[in-house]
Amino acid sequence: MDTVMIEVSDVTKSFGATRALDGVSLAVSEGTVLGLLGHNGAGKTTIVGILSTLSLPTSGQARVAGLDVTRNAEEVRRRIGLTGQYAAVDETLSGHANLVLIARLLGATRAQAAARAEELLELFSLTEAARRKVKDYSGGMRRRLDLAASLVGQPEVIFLDEPTTGLDPSARRGLWDVVKRLVQEGTTVLLTTQYLDEADFLADSITVLSAGRVIASGTADELKSRVGHRTVSVTLHTADDRPRAVRALEAAGLAPAHEPDSLVLTMPVQKSTDLAGVVRVADEANVEIAELAFSEPSLDDVYMALNHSAGS
Amino acid sequence: MTAATRPPALTATIHPTSPRFGGSGVLQQISVLSGRSLRVLREPAMVLPGVLEPILMLTVFSQVFKSVSQTAAFPAGVSYIDYLLPAFLVTSSISAGLKSGVALTTEMNNGIISRFKAMPIHTGSVLVGRSIADTALNVVNLLVMLVAAALIFGYGPAGGVLGSLSAALVSVVLGWSLGWLFMALSAWLRRPESLQPIGGMLNMVLLFASNAFVPADGLPGWLRVVAEVNPMSYAITAARDLALGHPDLGTILATLASCLVLVLITAPLAIRSFRRAT
Repeated sequence: MDTVMIEVSDVTKSFGATRALDGVSLAVSEGTVLGLLGHNGAGKTTIVGILSTLSLPTSGQARVAGLDVTRNAEEVRRRIGLTGQYAAVDETLSGHANLVLIARLLGATRAQAAARAEELLELFSLTEAARRKVKDYSGGMRRRLDLAASLVGQPEVIFLDEPTTGLDPSARRGLWDVVKRLVQEGTTVLLTTQYLDEADFLADSITVLSAGRVIASGTADELKSRVGHRTVSVTLHTADDRPRAVRALEAAGLAPAHEPDSLVLTMPVQKSTDLAGVVRVADEANVEIAELAFSEPSLDDVYMALNHSAGS
Repeated sequence: MTAATRPPALTATIHPTSPRFGGSGVLQQISVLSGRSLRVLREPAMVLPGVLEPILMLTVFSQVFKSVSQTAAFPAGVSYIDYLLPAFLVTSSISAGLKSGVALTTEMNNGIISRFKAMPIHTGSVLVGRSIADTALNVVNLLVMLVAAALIFGYGPAGGVLGSLSAALVSVVLGWSLGWLFMALSAWLRRPESLQPIGGMLNMVLLFASNAFVPADGLPGWLRVVAEVNPMSYAITAARDLALGHPDLGTILATLASCLVLVLITAPLAIRSFRRAT
């Protein structure tokens, strides 16, 4: 069960004097999703490039399905699918023609290629648009076609490089559902993203990359609790309640803070269930609450916290 | 549009139980990839500019430089259109070669080349496919140009149909070999906006400092030297002699041989740097 499908050990990659990757190691088990989280320039695409045999590591080793990406590149290519940041399809062709093209290149006969294309178009709700040129597709449709094109050869491992950057929320959601399905069917996925919520929703584990180094890894919850920037904000009805509310919350072990004239009290908490505690304390102190909000740490919070601890 | 808004209802499995495709041979790869680029032939809107441009140029040039045919350096008894058209076959072929390179850089940047490179296919297939497709498109273009010139401008040189077709063939070989040069350059430069000006400039200098529009003997001294060593002049001379019915085997063989040498040098370079790019 616990076969490692993607394995990166101590990989560095330099472009001239710039070091894009600096001793990166990671592993992904079969049928799981690893979210590679990081800002632009963190090295996410560079890792995907090495794992998908587009570029060579300067040093270190990378294996996909047990095969070395440098020595067995050809074999690795038979087992992977790659969906990059840009929809990598031929815009002058129809969606159907694009998928047929890929299938033919993989050795399918015309009939097999057409059958596989239709199957995938159906799965990605593109049947209606099948004969239209890709340049007339919406952003979401292009990305779906792009992912479909990566799946033509039934790869065991899929690399998704920022698959939803620039998509609207519903198109993102649609793509997420497809990825979930893929994983349920046993595909191993390496996903790069700039969005914590995306990694949160899709990934079994997350590796945070900054300036070419791994600065943290773990599950989404582990990372967030390590950062500890979940906050609850309480908006009071009147300023008269403020001193009483602050006293009660402090007595309950919380640390409410507010701007001088603001009705909003903000305090860090450990878990989302602490929200209930805040409500109870306010209720017992007879403080009327106008609004209540719980916020997860953003990627920026995670970054800042992790970079800070990595630096010190 | 509903397709874009709702996640697909997945009723079947994404990975069916049918066996995976077993991989393709180089010949199938090349035919599939060149077929992809040749699809433009089905769309008049995409082919038309390539055909119309030389015809428009021909209209303008045949009028602007017409007086050249009255100069002493000009071969006697030859009409200017008969003299000019073989040069146009050559220059159109050079543009076709440049187009191979530009198209390649465009696709390197929009991601589809990365997809091909991450697939189990031979890198060379991508370039050979493009070369074949662009060469075939050039053949179509040149044939249209010859027919249009004969019908509209009264083109009808002494070499006859065979002479003109041979002139077109020499031009096609030149375009094919330059296609490899420009693909090697594009694999190295990587960006259409870097390749386009270099290619355009090269084209311009080679074109005007040659015997394309006027006989080299009629040029001022220094420019005549440039025109005489300009490789384009050889190709144009070869094509023109064929069309005008007095082919010089030496010039033709020299032109074809230098094209072949160019391909033998640039094709492996193109494939190698293409594989390495990124």
